[in-house]
Amino acid sequence: MIAPRPYALLAEITYRCPLHCPYCSNPTQTRSDQELTTSEWTRVIREAAALGVLQIGFSGGEPLARRDLQDLIRAAREANLYTNLITSGIGLDDDRVRALRDAGLDSVQLSFQSDNTDLADEIAGARAQQRKLDAAAKIRAAGIPLSLNFVIHRRNIDRLTEMIALAESLQAERVELANVQFYGWAFLNRAALLPTREQVIRAREIATAAKARLTGKIDIFYVLPDYYENRPKPCLNGWGQRYLTVNPIGDVLPCPTASSAIPDLRFENVRARELDWIWRESESFNRFRGTEWMPEPCQSCPQREIDFGGCRCQAALLTGNPANTDPVCDLSPNRATVDAVLRGVDSLGYHVPAWTYRANPKEVQRVQYVSRG
Amino acid sequence: MQTPTIDGSAQPRLARGVRLQTDSKTGNRVLLFPEGVLELNETAQDIVCRCDGRTVAEIVQALAEEYDADPKMLGADVRDTLADLQQRKLIELT
Repeated sequence: MIAPRPYALLAEITYRCPLHCPYCSNPTQTRSDQELTTSEWTRVIREAAALGVLQIGFSGGEPLARRDLQDLIRAAREANLYTNLITSGIGLDDDRVRALRDAGLDSVQLSFQSDNTDLADEIAGARAQQRKLDAAAKIRAAGIPLSLNFVIHRRNIDRLTEMIALAESLQAERVELANVQFYGWAFLNRAALLPTREQVIRAREIATAAKARLTGKIDIFYVLPDYYENRPKPCLNGWGQRYLTVNPIGDVLPCPTASSAIPDLRFENVRARELDWIWRESESFNRFRGTEWMPEPCQSCPQREIDFGGCRCQAALLTGNPANTDPVCDLSPNRATVDAVLRGVDSLGYHVPAWTYRANPKEVQRVQYVSRG
Repeated sequence: MQTPTIDGSAQPRLARGVRLQTDSKTGNRVLLFPEGVLELNETAQDIVCRCDGRTVAEIVQALAEEYDADPKMLGADVRDTLADLQQRKLIELT
């Protein structure tokens, strides 16, 4: 199989995070290996650029938890990559914003849990909202383009109007209203997070109206919870086609959630192999590349190169086999699994279960950073 | 898509956070922006490379001379391309 060229690298530089959001897509269990060092990341960035990668997203955990973030951003800019910072904003003081800007940071995606401080702090499991608002102002003042990302779920989906108003007042250029996707901690907490069908329909109406009203001012993206769709999302635009993720300990993943969702997939590590080989030759990147692996009904489906059979992680989590058709598809023999989950949501009424907050991986050893200043 | 009329005196510039760059894999020009890459076709490359403070009329004139083309036909292409890029928030008109 000939590997295409990748366009974007998601660099999960640490699992450490000051927030405890119950929908975090990080694995619920992580290995206790040491985080990649500054020089290891710099090598990964150069190898990614040589492979064809044009964009890098610095994510985590909370990427600001690493003191060498500006060095990594500078390395990415030197490799001609477009640099995005995907952050909670916690830890972003004036000096830090300046350092990131001077390193060449192209854009920031700032997460919000709600517009409402009490609810936002409850969801984050930390007093975070005011610090996020301060961070947004600092990013604006530094002239860095700002996207807001609201993760939407049962507890906050009824506040979409207020969230959009917050985005307007913070002068964001772009807003994602992204329903939780059920992987990692979110899968564990699904019963507490999955909204009802009525909530989803109402939210879509609000998002559509706001999108029209704010055309040319703010770009609004509304991401449906895919359990309510009847065709699967074109996950990753196909496995091993455009994206790759490197996690804090250097494992290279076709998809950031694959390590927890697909336990039998063995991942290569940048400490042992070059990125080019991993992308082209590794079993993990080739297993679901293209269309040959597809079962029916995907194999003969006219949509197979549109949705690529949906999400491998979702197939694994809901059917036990990552090579199955994504059960969100109503042509899947396993669609009943998804319908049963949705019926469960409707039967909850007001008895929504409590969620489990994301815990930090305690075993992860910290690296001492030497900043290049 | 509704095409807003673009005035000849408007000055198109790359929007904030958008970078124009050569893709080392293909040699083509691409626009990079938050969470996206747009590979420019030849027409779009010719236009975007000239979004440097010149007016739309000046860009059309320059391209018409370079390609020895009818400025009227070319003007429509340029405006369509600019309207598309403006819609995607990749350029701003001032």
